[in-house]
Amino acid sequence: MNRREVTFALGSVAAAGLFPWSRAHAASPDLVAAAEKEGKVVWYTTMIVDQSVRPLAEAFQKKYPKIAVEFTRAGSGDTALKIINEGQAGRVMGDVFDGTATFASVMPAGFVEPYRPESAAAYPDEFKSADGSWHALNFYYLTAAYNTDLVSADEAPKTYDDLLDEKWKGQLVWSVVPEPVAAPGFIGNMLLTKGKDAGTAYLDKLAAQGVTNMSSSQRTVLDRVIVGDFPIGLMVFNHHVEISKAQGAPIEWLRMEPLVSSASLLGLIKGGPNPNAGKLFIDWLLSEEGQRVLASTSYLPTRPGVDATIPTLLPTGPQHFDTTFMSPTIVADNLKDWIAILDEKFT
Amino acid sequence: MTIEQDWSGAADRTAGARPSWLRLDQTRVLAIILAVILGALALPPAVILILRSLSITNPDATIGGWTLTHYVRFFTNPELYRSLLNSLVFAVFSTVVALLFGGTLAWLVERTNTRFKALAYVTTVVSMGTPYILYVSAWLFLLGRSGPLNDAWRTMTGSRQVLFDPYSLVGMILIEGFLWSPLVFLLLSSTFRSANADLEEAARMSGAGVLRTVWSVSIKMATPAIAALALFVFIRAIEAFEVPALVGMPGNIDVLTTDVYRSIKESIPPDLGYASAYSVVLLVAVAVLLHFYGKLSRNAGRFSTVTGKGYRPRQFNLGRWRPVGDALVIFNFLIVLVLPLLALLWLSLLPFMRPMRFEAVAQFSPANFVTVLSSQYYRTLALNTLIVGFVAATAGMILALFTGWLSARRKPGGQIIDQLATMPLVFPGIVMGVAFLMIFLAVPLPIYGTIWALAIAYTVRYLPYGLRYTYAGVLQISNELEEAAGASGATPIQSLRRIIAPLLSPALLSGWLFIFLIATKELAVAVLLAGPSSPVVAVGMYDLWVNGQGGELAAFGLIWAAVMTLVASVFYFAGGRTGRTAAH
Repeated sequence: MNRREVTFALGSVAAAGLFPWSRAHAASPDLVAAAEKEGKVVWYTTMIVDQSVRPLAEAFQKKYPKIAVEFTRAGSGDTALKIINEGQAGRVMGDVFDGTATFASVMPAGFVEPYRPESAAAYPDEFKSADGSWHALNFYYLTAAYNTDLVSADEAPKTYDDLLDEKWKGQLVWSVVPEPVAAPGFIGNMLLTKGKDAGTAYLDKLAAQGVTNMSSSQRTVLDRVIVGDFPIGLMVFNHHVEISKAQGAPIEWLRMEPLVSSASLLGLIKGGPNPNAGKLFIDWLLSEEGQRVLASTSYLPTRPGVDATIPTLLPTGPQHFDTTFMSPTIVADNLKDWIAILDEKFT
Repeated sequence: MTIEQDWSGAADRTAGARPSWLRLDQTRVLAIILAVILGALALPPAVILILRSLSITNPDATIGGWTLTHYVRFFTNPELYRSLLNSLVFAVFSTVVALLFGGTLAWLVERTNTRFKALAYVTTVVSMGTPYILYVSAWLFLLGRSGPLNDAWRTMTGSRQVLFDPYSLVGMILIEGFLWSPLVFLLLSSTFRSANADLEEAARMSGAGVLRTVWSVSIKMATPAIAALALFVFIRAIEAFEVPALVGMPGNIDVLTTDVYRSIKESIPPDLGYASAYSVVLLVAVAVLLHFYGKLSRNAGRFSTVTGKGYRPRQFNLGRWRPVGDALVIFNFLIVLVLPLLALLWLSLLPFMRPMRFEAVAQFSPANFVTVLSSQYYRTLALNTLIVGFVAATAGMILALFTGWLSARRKPGGQIIDQLATMPLVFPGIVMGVAFLMIFLAVPLPIYGTIWALAIAYTVRYLPYGLRYTYAGVLQISNELEEAAGASGATPIQSLRRIIAPLLSPALLSGWLFIFLIATKELAVAVLLAGPSSPVVAVGMYDLWVNGQGGELAAFGLIWAAVMTLVASVFYFAGGRTGRTAAH
């Protein structure tokens, strides 16, 4: 657990005491009226639609029946591309974005509109930027998962070095989307924790194992492990594993330390067609009510005082695990290099 | 010419002594209006691609001066030759698979005493209504590492390795080949049906065996048609996007079309200059291929010795080979219809993907169907798609009616109008998408990101197909009727409306349904043009697949395919089983 992570954890404990969740939150009537006049909000999201996007959109629409939530789901990279391309063409279509790497691309291109929602007052400083250009929407923890029909708990790899065993040759799969929560983040995790030389040596050995690259979401990687295409998937979200396990899927995640941790950053798109609805939606997503809906989908809320439905998913839960936190700064500084290493060694 | 003189004679009386090129009779006005509309629709895509391919794109996405760098980059990119080679191998072998499989089937069903023929037709009709992406995802599951094939292999050998990996060039070829085999079947079955059996019978009577007769008479007679069809399937495979995107990209096998897609979708800002240069080269290549296709298809009827005799050609008795023919028909029915549908049904009933094993049955639930039927998102998808298909088919057929009439009757300007309307044929779907993306971003109208962008693009893209229906239809209607109408004082527009259009209605209906069916399932154009507020079925399905919602994709796909199969049956029976898709 690095320093930043400790701050996060401590912050959440402290904030929980300071801001009891019973405090009701209501958006300003002016904002609601302006948003209702716009009638809809367009959300460029990176979350999985059936798992969390739809429940969140439905809950928001139930509270504000006059505002429709339209969404498109893509990875952080694609989402940032869409926002920047539409912005540069002068045809902004989206109002709100999220994602682990979206902000890092969209901000320098100048398409983020800072906004400090009332509901964000309850968040500690580590969970939001000072000028309001981003707020942490939810936490992610990424690790390896294995198919329990194909691999026994004893046989499953326990450490990163175990992945280099001959028997896993050709049996590993990961997503190579340009995000810190996919293959580039795995590479970053190795370089940050093992150091440049040892990290590079490790990555060379891993590349020799022949990891299968998928250019689709981490969810599809997990699905291919569940169906048995591959016994082991790398860099999958631990809450996705729990969601599938609850449905009876033969899958389990590994505490392969340090796990990669990241936060999805929520932001308002500059020049979006429905700015007020966008603000109201952000305000609601960060509110206690929005975060409770998020928690109910087994995603990990950021709001102090809103507990995760499955506490074992958290490093601060009953079973502690170490993590490498992909902070917005680390991502902005390193992601390009990690992607270059991925291209060089693994494709 | 005589008709024109008759009509211009009528115009003469009103127009006085003006020279003939100044006379503005109704036909001319119609021709001019049509030329303007078609020019505005068909020319900009090509113009903007050529301009952008020669312009410098600044980092802030504005356009600078002229340059050839995009072409230099294109031709010096070492990966181009790998993609080109992949594209060629993919297109050649998938054409071979489609032709061998679909062609053999067509011959068996039309010319032999093979049983279960109805199954082949059912398979074809259902395939016309099913989006490609559904087939591709179903076959990927079936052929996948944990599909029944590899599952059986692993159970037998106890190994973790697989027998066959579908995310490979071989997988792409097989899937594309099977994807096109129903169309090959449809087109070749009409060729075999109209072939004259006298020559075959003569061969048999002269002592030739079945195989010899088939080889030296049946195949030889159908050769021009087969060659034209082969080139057509080859062109479609070069242009193909679905299989390269769903099978090739995950397997790191790039072809020309996915390269174009990547240069737009995977760089900031989108590399429009490079994509345009790429597109222009593809356009030229397809134009050259289409030129040869035109030559071949003109000869396609060379041996079609249809006479006035109205009998069905006698069927070959396959004798002891009959079970082999039966088996092939059943194999087709299984591979192209039953197994993909079963795979989709399997996926749709499970909460997550599972191999096809009996113990999973306990987990069956209608949850995915409930979600699909109760969700606003899927209603929006379906509604948008139906609107786009309806508008594109209607607008396309209206333009095709006038164009076909002017062109078939050799009216002044008819030929230019025909060429304008045929031009979109050289655009691969992805290239058309690139061109219209740039156009809608540039025009100051609120079209970008709406379903109207798609409706316009599809109208242009499918106009040539509609035109083949109306052109052929008008040719079948005798001039006498229009002459009589003209003599009785009807204007050209009146006779077009009261005589031609009603007589043409079967062709118009077939053309309309054909455009509707392909406009509602094609992905390549839509993947670049559909915005967050204008999702359509093909793009929605692609997103579901890439984002990991296979269960909902399967449930929605089955419902959608059922509805579209109904439309396809109307098409099939309206077209009188004559294989009118041969129009393209």
